[in-house]
Amino acid sequence: MLNLYADRGNVQTLLRRCEWRGLHAHVTPVRRHDEVRLRDYHLVLIGGGSDREQALVAEALRRRRREWKAAVEDGLPVLAVCGGYQLLGEYYQLPDGTKVPGLELLDLVTTAGRPRLIGNIAIESPEVGTVVGFENHGGRTVHRHAPLGTVLRGHGNNGRDGYEGVRYRNVVGTYIHGPLLPKNPRLADFLLSLAAAYAGVAVDFPPLDDELEWAAHRAFLTRHAGVRGPR
Amino acid sequence: MEDHARAPPIVESIPEERCRELTDTIGVWVGKSSRVLLRLVGRRATSFPGLLALRVSPRLMRRLGRQLRSCTVVTGTNGKTTTSVMLATVFRSKGPCVHNASGANLRQGLMNALITSADWRGRLRADRAVFEVDEATLPLVAADLPIDFVAVTNVFRDQLDRYGEIDTALQLIIDGIRRTRATAVLNADDPLARHIGLRCGRPTVYFGMARQLARPPEREQTRDGEACLRCGHRLRYDGYFYGQLGLYWCSHCRFARPPLDFTGLYDGTALHVTEGRSGPETYELPVRGLFNAYNALCAIAVARLNGFRPAEIAAALKRYRGPAGRMQVFATEPVSILSLIKNPAGCDSILQAICREPGPKVLCVAINDRAADGRDVSWLWDADWELVPERCGVAQCVTTGTRAEDMAVRLKYAGYPTGRIETTPDLEDGIRRALRAARALGGLPVHVLTTYTALHEAARILESLAAEAAAPERP
Ligand SMILES: [Zn+2]
Repeated sequence: MLNLYADRGNVQTLLRRCEWRGLHAHVTPVRRHDEVRLRDYHLVLIGGGSDREQALVAEALRRRRREWKAAVEDGLPVLAVCGGYQLLGEYYQLPDGTKVPGLELLDLVTTAGRPRLIGNIAIESPEVGTVVGFENHGGRTVHRHAPLGTVLRGHGNNGRDGYEGVRYRNVVGTYIHGPLLPKNPRLADFLLSLAAAYAGVAVDFPPLDDELEWAAHRAFLTRHAGVRGPR
Repeated sequence: MEDHARAPPIVESIPEERCRELTDTIGVWVGKSSRVLLRLVGRRATSFPGLLALRVSPRLMRRLGRQLRSCTVVTGTNGKTTTSVMLATVFRSKGPCVHNASGANLRQGLMNALITSADWRGRLRADRAVFEVDEATLPLVAADLPIDFVAVTNVFRDQLDRYGEIDTALQLIIDGIRRTRATAVLNADDPLARHIGLRCGRPTVYFGMARQLARPPEREQTRDGEACLRCGHRLRYDGYFYGQLGLYWCSHCRFARPPLDFTGLYDGTALHVTEGRSGPETYELPVRGLFNAYNALCAIAVARLNGFRPAEIAAALKRYRGPAGRMQVFATEPVSILSLIKNPAGCDSILQAICREPGPKVLCVAINDRAADGRDVSWLWDADWELVPERCGVAQCVTTGTRAEDMAVRLKYAGYPTGRIETTPDLEDGIRRALRAARALGGLPVHVLTTYTALHEAARILESLAAEAAAPERP
């Protein structure tokens, strides 16, 4: 598992859910100048930082763009959140028109916009059901891939088309943090099963006692997002 | 310009001394009237009138200050407010005392407190004063006030941000003390405060915690840059109290924790203080946490040096009402302790303080996500809740508030057993459940942690539950 500026909560969730099933996972935090051999990893988490940090990370990662592209096409599972999500695309266009180039893994572009899109968000995903959390982004993202889900409440990719996030091969990109995985155990397990399949290990994922997680998920849907969604 | 300077003074007929007095009186008037005006428009006047008065009459502080019979200033990084309010509470048990409002610890804040205590003719209605003073302000007021005690609570390294260097902060305090004729009352457990004691050239009195409270060094993270200020070699510790406070000694020179004049032994509810060979005297504390015990110890030392008897101090401390949410104690059944958490760093320091409280306890965490709390509660994942299962001795948890369920998940992923977590969004229900669990477990203390918007409601609920507990049983 590789962890670039990821949310501590997301990492913690994946680790615990492996541990509770008797699986062993190892996390490597990666800094900007660290040499990364993507072959060594079965799941990559990319979180967000400030715009400046983000640009620096993009610059560093772009040097290995071909390797990234090959790995993603080969099925490397990636969870990219907020700035990490924007980084998957071709560029991020700043208010002054400058385009900060991304990793160009997806046919996706982001343009800075106003106001920032902030608030609770809930979406419906065909693969993992409802996903809930918090969004806080200035960028408006459009892409030609499948979305992670349709927006039930909140803004999503750009506040216009009703879609949130991206799904491409084993890549999941999203603006939802909060953090994302603790309250969305189906999504967490979905990523773990992708990682296991990619690693070539035949493990099944017995269900865990997720009573607290679902209680938080449901409370969020009813109290904070005002939607009565199925789980 | 020359002509102007040579022009005769307007108030020529008034002798110089008389003229000064007049200016001072005008200063008092300006200060007091601007205070009244600010009150009328509904502003809190903690500094501005003082600033105006100082403009009109720069010598006014000295003029008012010299009417004081006793003057203590409290400085340091943390605990200035708590310590000085405790001290003011003790002093006021014997008469009026000048004291600056919390946070108004610059020159104008002190001036404002003096003006408030003065009548319209510039006479102080109190003969004692205790001031909380910013480190940088100490040298500026040292000459104007008849300071007889300078208490230094501690010098933590978070000052680095404000003054650029720890040396600067230390030097400000040392310079300040040198300009007084005061006795320095210093935290012996803090190597930086000890350094002040060695350098300030004034008589010193040291307070500190008893050796048996220190924790072995290995649990503490390595602190880089803990170098002896005298010779630069690394400081060693036989044990830590908290932060850099501990049983330190230099491996190279003779710099070490000095012998204590006031030794505190904190048992979780009371502080037992030994003075030299006499004592111990027991002081029930109105607040919890080792950091608050340090504040109380500092206040007790200064009060004793001012001639107050232990019984008088103990009685006054019972009346102390601390700022809400800093391990504030409520006489519920069993006892509860309320703390504010609003960001990862603050939350971690509260959790560490709870870990240091002896014995098992019940934890009640109230997380709201109203606008004033911040709608986004992701910071919960950056705070060190892992301490709760690892070191805090928490027997039962109740999570409550609008984000009760998120908090429960956070504790679960921190490794706390889910079977011992109860969840209810209703704050009053949450607090009642925590107290019920604490009673069932034999009367354990309940630590209530809340975000900003839940704090005052929690305090109100705890107060009414305390009143219920105090009321005689109804038939
Ligand atoms: Zn030394």
